[in-house]
Amino acid sequence: MDADSDVALDILITNVVCVFRTRCHLNLRKIALEGANVIYKRDVGKVLMKLRKPRITATIWSSGKIICTGATSEEEAKFGARRLARSLQKLGFQVIFTDFKVVNVLAVCNMPFEIRLPEFTKNNRPHASYEPELHPAVCYRIKSLRATLQIFSTGSITVTGNLLCYCCGQIYPFVFESR
Amino acid sequence: MTGRVCRACGSTDIELDAARGDAVCTACGSVLEDNIIVSEVQFVENSGGGSSAVGQFVSLDGPGKTPTLGGGFHVNLGKESRAQTLQNGRRHIHHLGSQLQLNQHCLDTAFIFFKMAVNKSLTRGRKMTHVIAACLYLVCRTEGTPHMLLDLSDLLQVNVYVLGKTFLLLARELCINAPAIDPCLYIPRFAHLLEFGEKNHEVSMTALRLLQCMKRDWMHTGRRPSGLCGAALLVAARMHDFRRTVKEVISVVKVCESTLRKRLTEFEDTPTSQLTIDEFMKIDLEGECDPPSYTAGQRKLRMKQLEQVLSKQLEEVEGEISSYQDAIEIELENSRPKARGALANLSKDGSVEDTTSSIFGEEDAEDEELEAAASHMNKDFYRELLGGGSGSSDAVEIPEEGGHPLALESLLGPLPTAASLGISDSIRECISSPNRDPNASGDGELDLSGIDDLEIDRYILNEAEARVKAELWMRENAEYLREQREKEARIAKEKELGIYKEHKPKKSCKRREPIQASTAREAIEKMLEQKKISSKINYSVLRDLNSKGLDSPQRDDIRPTEKGSAKKLSWRRVVACRSGADPGTSVGKRLRPLVSTLPAKKAALGEAAFLNSPALGPELARPAAVLVESGPVSYQSEEVADEDDADEDDGEPCISALKMLGNNAYGCDGDDDDGF
Repeated sequence: MDADSDVALDILITNVVCVFRTRCHLNLRKIALEGANVIYKRDVGKVLMKLRKPRITATIWSSGKIICTGATSEEEAKFGARRLARSLQKLGFQVIFTDFKVVNVLAVCNMPFEIRLPEFTKNNRPHASYEPELHPAVCYRIKSLRATLQIFSTGSITVTGNLLCYCCGQIYPFVFESR
Repeated sequence: MTGRVCRACGSTDIELDAARGDAVCTACGSVLEDNIIVSEVQFVENSGGGSSAVGQFVSLDGPGKTPTLGGGFHVNLGKESRAQTLQNGRRHIHHLGSQLQLNQHCLDTAFIFFKMAVNKSLTRGRKMTHVIAACLYLVCRTEGTPHMLLDLSDLLQVNVYVLGKTFLLLARELCINAPAIDPCLYIPRFAHLLEFGEKNHEVSMTALRLLQCMKRDWMHTGRRPSGLCGAALLVAARMHDFRRTVKEVISVVKVCESTLRKRLTEFEDTPTSQLTIDEFMKIDLEGECDPPSYTAGQRKLRMKQLEQVLSKQLEEVEGEISSYQDAIEIELENSRPKARGALANLSKDGSVEDTTSSIFGEEDAEDEELEAAASHMNKDFYRELLGGGSGSSDAVEIPEEGGHPLALESLLGPLPTAASLGISDSIRECISSPNRDPNASGDGELDLSGIDDLEIDRYILNEAEARVKAELWMRENAEYLREQREKEARIAKEKELGIYKEHKPKKSCKRREPIQASTAREAIEKMLEQKKISSKINYSVLRDLNSKGLDSPQRDDIRPTEKGSAKKLSWRRVVACRSGADPGTSVGKRLRPLVSTLPAKKAALGEAAFLNSPALGPELARPAAVLVESGPVSYQSEEVADEDDADEDDGEPCISALKMLGNNAYGCDGDDDDGF
């Protein structure tokens, strides 16, 4: 998807999380009874609806807020969200599709070299935190972009947040030092 | 010399006599100071002839111990909250540290960390035991003692990841870089536990060298150091003819058996394992290996490639089979006129949509779950076959039927793979292209272009199905429904008995528009407009708030329970929203300096008033006994009622008003589990 200065690194988006609102109150019970692809979690007060075409899972609250996860691209997320709203409309609710916002994007990126984690943590002290007893990856937080990167020793990096390509570009030189 | 100027003559030549405690001007002789307080060390002679200094040691951590005149009262009585916290913390640290056998220096360092944490309010909203454990582990890390986070969690019976989270936060906030843990640190400890007797040192050395090889071979990144230690020790023990079973090692090292085995197999893969014992002692292999997960990844890639090649070959074979099937089907066509239409369509290698829609008509053209389509087709095909086959002889039927399942599946084998890809791509294309044109978000109307209604219709069950599903769900969630019914019954019974206390679920603070006001008075007025008002407050006194300073609060007027609960809410709100609504805090701050302790609570109530959810209706119609909570502050009537509602609704443990009165405004002990 995006190329770096020296090497072409492909960044695969694995998950896009978005929210939108239907400005109407939704009767969860009705959705649960009449939808073929829903799970009703009454104890928490939400309904999970899974769509197949863009493979997404949506959490529907009775206030009309819907969180949609599992899409593999932003357009797909929007498309899925609209489909969801359309199916709710068919069930009889007066749905208005507003406030669509992409909240979080997860992506995976692979570096062609391995990374020495202890060395990397030492060089990037405040941002990186490594706890081998707890998790095998280094957790690197970029506050300015509000992104979190998990860097594994095999060279694969999992990024969550917005503005992903930029993050990957930023982290590359640091990671390259500690190969 | 004090450097002062004489009052009478203006000369700076002033002599200080410490013995007499005088300051005298040498020019004019006037005495400037009498009985000066000196800070000198005085010595007293002991009975044995030696001399000792006069004075007492005072603790740095607070006002110090009050002299216990009448015997041992409770140690914490009469101290500030901050001092209490620190003292509690110190006690816990010592208690835990002694269990871990940490020396005094470590414990002191841990206490310093704890003090820093308290100063940064990191203890708020967290269990104190967690914070203390994190401080201790931080010390262990910086000192390099062989204590694991697992040990601490064992002692406390707390999930290790929870402790780890607290520890990471503490390290980040205190800007302390804990050095990475080295598995070599653990070797002596585990070796001692495994009881190697005299050869302890040798075995440890061997294990250390093994670990270094592992490090070179990239086995140690991302792994629990204890697991690596366990593997190294096991091999070292075997090398020196000690029998240590896997189980023994596991009980010492605290990893799972499968982890240990995995480490051993990984080590096996490294070239170091090929050396004999003597060679290992002498030679050091220089080369590096790839980390095991990397090799595992490569292996997976290779497997995938192999699979692809295999599947291609399979496809070719299937292609051959399908050509045979075609021949058979042509024969069938001739023998069974009924099934001709289906077969003819099937034998076409065209898109599955046409076949499905033409044959069945129910299935949606764009159904991508071709397995479902396949199964449908199977079923109907059998039906048609059987219907058609009843005419002909059995002998012909059976092999043909036997042949057909194969035919169908192998037919549908290559078909769905090709067809599904083809379809879904094209569908996505045609759907997504109209998507890009319409406006993004603007009007809020649902953009229907490209959304296939038919497919969505399939998502909606008809009545019979809905009933079945409802029953299924009821059965699944029977437990939960039963609990709900019992709860309702209980509430009804309590209502009858009149002791019904409603516990509403917690409502989160709703952020209001910040109030723009220039004076505290304006702010209060605006807030009163926003908030509903309570009957408990003396409003006339509120209006005088700005005008005069406040005297000591009138404590007698306070009804402990209600006010306690109101205070509790205000307390909680203050804590929870300390970082929150600025106008609230600014008004509160303006109110707070004007008042002493109790009115501070009232001011906090004022803060809380901002933050209460407006949804709380004035439930309680309290009698208008206008109560002066704290002297000068007065609100309108329903405000406190609302807060009281919220209090009772929240059902948190009530702190008595007396206790709150005893504390200062900032002395929050982290007892509130507010979260962060």
